[in-house]
Amino acid sequence: MKKFDLKKLKDIDYKKLAKDFWYGKPHGERRLGDLYCEKTGLYKHREWRGFKDTMYYFNMIWLYNYGSIVAEVLKSGGLEGLPLFVKGLWRYRWIGQAYLPVLHWFDRGLEGMRGETLRASAWHYNAMVGVSVQQILNMLKADANMHGGKHNDTWKHTIAHKETLWGGVFYPWSDKFQNVPMEMIPYFVTCHVNNHTVLNYIDAVQSIGLPGDPCPMCQAEAGLFVLDDMPDYAPFMVSTNEACDGSVASTVLQEWLWDKPLFAMPQPMQFDDPLVQEHCANEIRELWKFVEEQTGVAPNFDLMNKRLESQNELQRFEWEKWDVAANTNHYPINGVAQALYRIYQSQYGDNPIWHRTDKRVRKIMEKCVEQRIDTFPKTRHRVIAWSCAPLYYSNWCTWAYNCWGLNTIINMDSLMFNMTIRTDNLDNTVLDMARYHEWAPMRRMAVGGMHHIFELWEYMEKFHCDMVMMYDQLQCKGMQGVHGMFEDEFRARDIHAIWMPHALPDKRTVSRSEIRTIINDYMTTVMHEEPIDPSLLDFDDSQGW
Amino acid sequence: MRDLKHLIFFENLLQEANNDLVKQAKDDGKRCLGYTCYFMPEVLLDLPGCFGVRLRAPRSGSPDMATYYMSNRTCHYGRSLMERALEGGFNFLDAQMATETCTVTCRFQEHLQQKKIDSVSDMNIIQNPDFFCEFIDVPFKKNENSVEHYRKQLECHVLGKLKDNFGIDTSDEAMMKAIEEHNEVCRLITEIGNYRKLDVPTITGYEFQVIQLVSLVCPKYLILPYLRETAEEMKTRQADAKPNYRCKVVLAGAENDDPAFTQLIESCGALVVADRHCYGSLPGREEIVVAEGQSPLEAIARHYLETSYCPRFMPANDMRQRKKYLADIAKEYKADGMIVVSNKFCEYWSYERTIDAIVLPRDFGIPTCSIEKEYVNSASGQLRTRFQAFIESVEIKKIQGGAKK
Amino acid sequence: MKKFLKILGKILLIAGGIYAALFAVFFFDLDGKAIFHGVEPFLVKHYDKMERKDPLKAPYEMNKPHIDYGTK
Repeated sequence: MKKFDLKKLKDIDYKKLAKDFWYGKPHGERRLGDLYCEKTGLYKHREWRGFKDTMYYFNMIWLYNYGSIVAEVLKSGGLEGLPLFVKGLWRYRWIGQAYLPVLHWFDRGLEGMRGETLRASAWHYNAMVGVSVQQILNMLKADANMHGGKHNDTWKHTIAHKETLWGGVFYPWSDKFQNVPMEMIPYFVTCHVNNHTVLNYIDAVQSIGLPGDPCPMCQAEAGLFVLDDMPDYAPFMVSTNEACDGSVASTVLQEWLWDKPLFAMPQPMQFDDPLVQEHCANEIRELWKFVEEQTGVAPNFDLMNKRLESQNELQRFEWEKWDVAANTNHYPINGVAQALYRIYQSQYGDNPIWHRTDKRVRKIMEKCVEQRIDTFPKTRHRVIAWSCAPLYYSNWCTWAYNCWGLNTIINMDSLMFNMTIRTDNLDNTVLDMARYHEWAPMRRMAVGGMHHIFELWEYMEKFHCDMVMMYDQLQCKGMQGVHGMFEDEFRARDIHAIWMPHALPDKRTVSRSEIRTIINDYMTTVMHEEPIDPSLLDFDDSQGW
Repeated sequence: MRDLKHLIFFENLLQEANNDLVKQAKDDGKRCLGYTCYFMPEVLLDLPGCFGVRLRAPRSGSPDMATYYMSNRTCHYGRSLMERALEGGFNFLDAQMATETCTVTCRFQEHLQQKKIDSVSDMNIIQNPDFFCEFIDVPFKKNENSVEHYRKQLECHVLGKLKDNFGIDTSDEAMMKAIEEHNEVCRLITEIGNYRKLDVPTITGYEFQVIQLVSLVCPKYLILPYLRETAEEMKTRQADAKPNYRCKVVLAGAENDDPAFTQLIESCGALVVADRHCYGSLPGREEIVVAEGQSPLEAIARHYLETSYCPRFMPANDMRQRKKYLADIAKEYKADGMIVVSNKFCEYWSYERTIDAIVLPRDFGIPTCSIEKEYVNSASGQLRTRFQAFIESVEIKKIQGGAKK
Repeated sequence: MKKFLKILGKILLIAGGIYAALFAVFFFDLDGKAIFHGVEPFLVKHYDKMERKDPLKAPYEMNKPHIDYGTK
């Protein structure tokens, strides 16, 4: 038997131990990478963030969010909500496989966060979970597959549309009809929460002969229908050409397999041309006529204006957030929370949950500014992330901050939809709604006008960033098509840019670990820097969610 | 079959974009306008004083410089055009009339454009002081809103620019004259193409593609005499006593301006009797009809939207009619099978090809071969194997069908 | 009163026990481990063997209406 060494006990620095217990090990000393179980991305134990923050995490994030999921299921689904949810979970892969480990999604995004940053970022996650649960329940309540093939009243009062079509065009019916994007919950959010699920859909669509090179997002969106994993929740559907050729093309499969009346709502490609605005506005008007014809209900433009005003309020707060992010070091929201919340909120449209969250976040942000709290104290570089982000590794920025002090201040997707909408008269409103569409993610910059893609420099300056994380979506033809121009410009402007290759939802093309290696290599060989937390340099999370 | 008198001449015209007839027209003082897509109406580029050239990059090799700019994960056609432009092969262009109709050709054309903005340096690729590149926004639907939008786009970005930059006459009279000339080309190509409908066609798919291509890449007024003569010649052309093909096929799909590809299919034993692809004649060579009281520009806008079966069109009826159109062509041209080809990295045709390969055999009983290819087909051995296997299967089906009868 | 305090004490004790147990689940990532090693593989197996509609058998009706409300 080994002898117990009393000397070792004497050597322990109890003061430090107590300090670490109370405040958590400081960034620079802690070794977050040691917490991982090999391959799985699970934790040997969750991070000890100091007493206060650990208890906050346990009570206000872990317990609260498990509880609020149940509460939201009951709120959205009534008494039948829970059994319906379970039935849906049994029927649809994307519910059961993707959403059960949702708290791990929080863990990954919030690793290493402390104090106000932890709180503000977590509220963003909480909001996304709330809206997702609402949408799941809205789908399930209307789903004929859940009701013995019958089309119930909820089915008749639900509108299905492609996720890249802004939900705001349906505001005129929002008192009587729910609009639910087809792929936002079964595809988009799943990739962030559990990146395994989506692979089934990509494989499914390729199994009927689609080659592997089209955009994997569109592949997965079509794959949902091929795998018969799409609820039958609405009597008609609305499609869009946003983001790209792939969205138009994949609709061919979706329309075939769903076989419902379809309205195609295109958004012009040359959106800087003043001539296109009227055309786009007219297409919105055509859509309204189609919805009216399908539902038998006339649009309520007063209601629309009310909802638009409410959405404008969200946009105005977003500008305040950007102002704090750009000009201070008191911005309490980390890169992944900022990006996901913003894209979700602006794409989906107005929802009381966003307002509730913004209220909470405003309070935290104001506290940070008033008390001059340095929210990311280990920041070495202020990073702007550009182009389309890897969905299976949107939390790379949490890792990059913890490991290298790379603080992602803003990203391209957040900067889309950068406008409020006039409500003074219907003509102006429709024109602004057209513009809003044209400024959708991946249209305004990635696939749309070349001028806007290079707005990067302007935003770099505005947000005081000194580094670019240049997403390199290998299957995005729009961005691949300007690859060399970016290289030339980076060189000419002497800008440090890290190209991050990825395949949007498909981790098999470029793994998370490869992404980390690319960043590590750049930071050591080009920037000649040492990691803040070396335990995060290399770890195997290949099977992780 | 007897050799076509002008075939070698035509083949030579396809050896480079700046061919002898293009040079001749430039010497005649005409402005040369490049374009890549059907949605840039060639008839407007053939107004008096200018002529359109649908861009190709014949005899392309590895597009190394273009790959730096556009990566190796974009369509080879777009990159080959870019490479040719970077090599100076398109310096004869006075303007590029661009469309954002598919992402990669759009990006190629954006590289040509002098953007004159601070955020990105212009590359000055086309070494011609007069050169400009102008984009139009092409609608995704065929409704009235789209026709009107398209008309306005053509008016402002094509006619307006040609008038302002080169003093081109864009009056209705000038347009009517261009339509007349264009219609004659269409009539001749259709007439020649109709020989493919015969039980034993008197023209091969390769020959027809060469003829169709020269009509796209040469000034109309210079190529017309040769087309007229060829049409005349076709009237007396006899098929071989014993046809040297085993079955007849429709070639459908994405961008294809490579007659060698058709030749490859035909060398495997299939006669290509219909060409439903970008740069093909189906659709594309229908005459433009200007109705009474209609402006020529409106007729043109309506014609190009309504005749197209491009997979860009988003409404359900257009999506589905495209399959019907293919099946109708197969019937009309007495084809035994269909070869649907998409270029690697082409989003539109990847999906279209997938669904065609399912629906055509299942719902119309048309055997379908689904192929992915590059712009430059160095892997012809693999393609040959695929085609041979397909042709064999079609032949067996024919024999079995005949035996049953 | 004593009985009430006793019951209250018991309730607090049980609540405290549950709270501590939940904290243990949280801290040692037992929820994650259970889902990863148990629930997810079970569900995946279920989804993999589920009977699904064959997409290739879906009919492809050619005649769909042309939608145009004439807005311009």
